[in-house]
Amino acid sequence: MDALAHDPVEDAAPGKARPPLDLELIDIRKRYGDFTAVDGVSLKVSKGQFVCLLGPSGCGKTTTLRCIAGLEEPDDGEILIGGKEATKDPPWQRDIAMMFQDFALFPHMTVAKQVGFGLEMLRRPKAEIARRVQHILKSFEIAVLADRKPASLSGGQRQRVALARAMITEPRILLLDEPIGALDYSLRETVMLELKLLQQRTGISFIWVTHDQNEAFSLGDLVVVMNHARIEQQGPPEEILQRPATAFVAGFVQGNNVFRGRVKELLAGALRIETPVGTFLVPRPLAAPPPMLGSEVSFSVRAEQITDAVFERHVNRLSAVCTAVEYFGAVRRHVFERSDGEVLKYDQFGAHAARIVPGLRLVLGWPAEAAVLHAGVGG
Amino acid sequence: MSTIRIRSPASYWLAVPAAAWMLGVVVVPIVLLVWVSFWGGRAFSMASPLTFDNYARFFANQTYLKLALSTIVHTATLMAVTGVLGYCIAYFLVMKVKSPGWRLALFLAFIVPFWTSTLIRAIAWVPFLGVNGVINQTLMYVGATQSPIEAFLYSRAGITMAQVSLYTMLAAGPVVYMLNAIAPQLREAAMTLKATPFVVFRRIVFPLTLPGVVIGQVLVFLNVMSDFATVATIGGNKHALLSNLVLLFYEGSQIRAASVVAVLLMLCMLVGVVVALRVVDIRRLGADR
Repeated sequence: MDALAHDPVEDAAPGKARPPLDLELIDIRKRYGDFTAVDGVSLKVSKGQFVCLLGPSGCGKTTTLRCIAGLEEPDDGEILIGGKEATKDPPWQRDIAMMFQDFALFPHMTVAKQVGFGLEMLRRPKAEIARRVQHILKSFEIAVLADRKPASLSGGQRQRVALARAMITEPRILLLDEPIGALDYSLRETVMLELKLLQQRTGISFIWVTHDQNEAFSLGDLVVVMNHARIEQQGPPEEILQRPATAFVAGFVQGNNVFRGRVKELLAGALRIETPVGTFLVPRPLAAPPPMLGSEVSFSVRAEQITDAVFERHVNRLSAVCTAVEYFGAVRRHVFERSDGEVLKYDQFGAHAARIVPGLRLVLGWPAEAAVLHAGVGG
Repeated sequence: MSTIRIRSPASYWLAVPAAAWMLGVVVVPIVLLVWVSFWGGRAFSMASPLTFDNYARFFANQTYLKLALSTIVHTATLMAVTGVLGYCIAYFLVMKVKSPGWRLALFLAFIVPFWTSTLIRAIAWVPFLGVNGVINQTLMYVGATQSPIEAFLYSRAGITMAQVSLYTMLAAGPVVYMLNAIAPQLREAAMTLKATPFVVFRRIVFPLTLPGVVIGQVLVFLNVMSDFATVATIGGNKHALLSNLVLLFYEGSQIRAASVVAVLLMLCMLVGVVVALRVVDIRRLGADR
């Protein structure tokens, strides 16, 4: 897939120190009647970044994508594409391309015809279109399909055609709406890797909408977690996995144990938080001022930070009964029931021998620094 | 629930009633019609010799040939007018009317007149088109004309107006169906590929609705070719098409001549449908989406 490895586009205006952002959203709002689909979304995408919009269905991620494409007009806010104001521009005047969830291939056009459609719209000479179509079909390994119509293609082939159709015009930004959601599960991993490599080679910014956190965390340079029309947290995958900013993010991201309680005591470097299942020490947030005494807070502990070999440094302890063991290969997850009925997940390295069986009661512990305090009680 | 397998005896037996009915009311009469059209001599009997005389007589008469030609021109005009008008209505209903309530209301407004018979709807045009009719009264009230225009009723224009109103929905219906079947994402995908709305229509929407257009055209073609009632009511005795000629001969007890015209009319329709099927394979409709 090296068809699109072209020279970086010289679009930085002379005199400007840095190239403009590929995309900037400033406080985007979109409502449908009483329903707010997107509420104050701001986002900066620098040159050639891979951004994943992650969230449950109905969280506004697709609407945000459609606003960027120009298929929806935001009620409020600004959209800058390549540093140029584009909020009111129709889709056909924006420097973007889009790949749709069900690929939206034109049923009456052959593969070659629809891959060349974008170039045709740019009024390129016929010979150039034919040459570039052939080239991209070859590099996407679908040259043999050139004269077929979409109805006779498999899911994986359609996905490649849709991608080729979107990429051939070499847009500044490629928008992808659940691009591999329609594929067989076994195919997804390969396609994901291919797309990541393609993105790195071409330097085109990808904005990838998904509800699948595996996709988001393995692909994204920047992951944007959305819920109820708002951005809950944005940052590199490690930051979102290690330091969830809100209870929603912690609960949405796999492998977190969320606790809710009240601040009972403010210590030097930590807070003592009283929850229905016990009292725990949580480090004070570094940036924000500490919460007030007695206020409601939530914090989370990742499942792999917990241990059943409790030593002195594991100041937070909890007794629970194992209810189930799930084996994923890389990890072995033990599901415990807390005394308040909620679930506590405890992950072990999968290569270790299984020791814990359902029905066993254990004391689990974790050090104070393993817990992450959330901003506000959300979710 | 049990299912009937293809080629099981039961499936053939189930087709028998319909097949017998079609044989009795369609196939046999058509065979008789064709047979009668070849009868020679003067006697009306099964023993008549078979000749081409009846056809020769028809084609030797300039008046009849002109009538056939004007029937074809008239039908083509109607197909063009109802085609454009029907497409516009269909496009408006599907693409522009967003509220489901309005869409239903407008759809009913178009459909409800079809609950009455074609003849009554044709007759209903008479008070509109007459010398003292609604159209003339309005034109004079507005000041567009001083004296009433007589060309509306009992004229080719009047027939065309009435038939356009009768058959436009036939042209629009299949297009509505095809437009509804186009996923909005297809148009959106074309737009993100830099196609302007007009290009989206020309390259995506219209090609995908073409089968609907052709089916609509076939329906209009068949109906106009065979419509003698509207022509008789609105055209008075001044205008006639081939279908009226059949009636005329029949009323004059010229059964053989009537059969000749009927057979020629059927042949025209057959050719029309074959041409349409050349453009769009209706049987494969929806197979590739």
